[in-house]
Amino acid sequence: MLMVRAIVRPEKVDEVLSALMYAGFPSVTKMDVYGRGKQRGMKVGEITYDELPKELIFTVIEDKDKTFVIETILKSARTGTKGTFGDGKVFVSQIEEAYTVSSGIKQL
Amino acid sequence: MKEVIAIIRMNKMNETKRALSAAGISSLTARKVVGRGKGKVDYLLLEGAKSGYEEAINQLGPGPKLIPKRMLNIIVTDNLVEKVVKTIIKVNQTGSPGDGKIFVEPLIDAIRVRTGESGDLAIVEDAVPAANEV
Repeated sequence: MLMVRAIVRPEKVDEVLSALMYAGFPSVTKMDVYGRGKQRGMKVGEITYDELPKELIFTVIEDKDKTFVIETILKSARTGTKGTFGDGKVFVSQIEEAYTVSSGIKQL
Repeated sequence: MKEVIAIIRMNKMNETKRALSAAGISSLTARKVVGRGKGKVDYLLLEGAKSGYEEAINQLGPGPKLIPKRMLNIIVTDNLVEKVVKTIIKVNQTGSPGDGKIFVEPLIDAIRVRTGESGDLAIVEDAVPAANEV
């Protein structure tokens, strides 16, 4: 199993979530985060925004769905067709075990 | 060393914390998150909405519904993972959907900021007296 953590623009969240829903991956968790990237925040005139608001989306998937899910997220989170700075990042990590609390069964 | 990520109901938080500290695991990080699970959305409905049937779209509602939950991140040594998982399941199990999920993720290293200790030494709790014992 893999955990996919995607940091996306707040205004793109709804699009990503519905894309995932239609792709057959309804289970996600979302939280508000603040951070900066390679561009060291954003500069508008005199003002520098060091930490920009983003949304962090978690989802845990089976190994075989990895490419499809990542493609879905990338496609829906991108601004325009080419994308711009600040569109976010996707991280993938290994999950060893997953339990469903309501049944206590060890499965996704 | 493993990270246990548990997503549980909001109103089970206090009970879970109490049960965990009774089991000897007192350190945790908690966050308020929103999310959705497998849900009860019928995939035929989704298909219908995709192909543009009014009825299906109306039933689905305007957007994905997200439910508030608590997310716990608990970092423990390998031998405690089972205990943590069992405790959380025992306290949070009501049997109906929406009880949450628990994920176990391997971690490579942990470092205690105060002393600079790394590895398992940084997360063992035995040596530290609990706040109410001091």
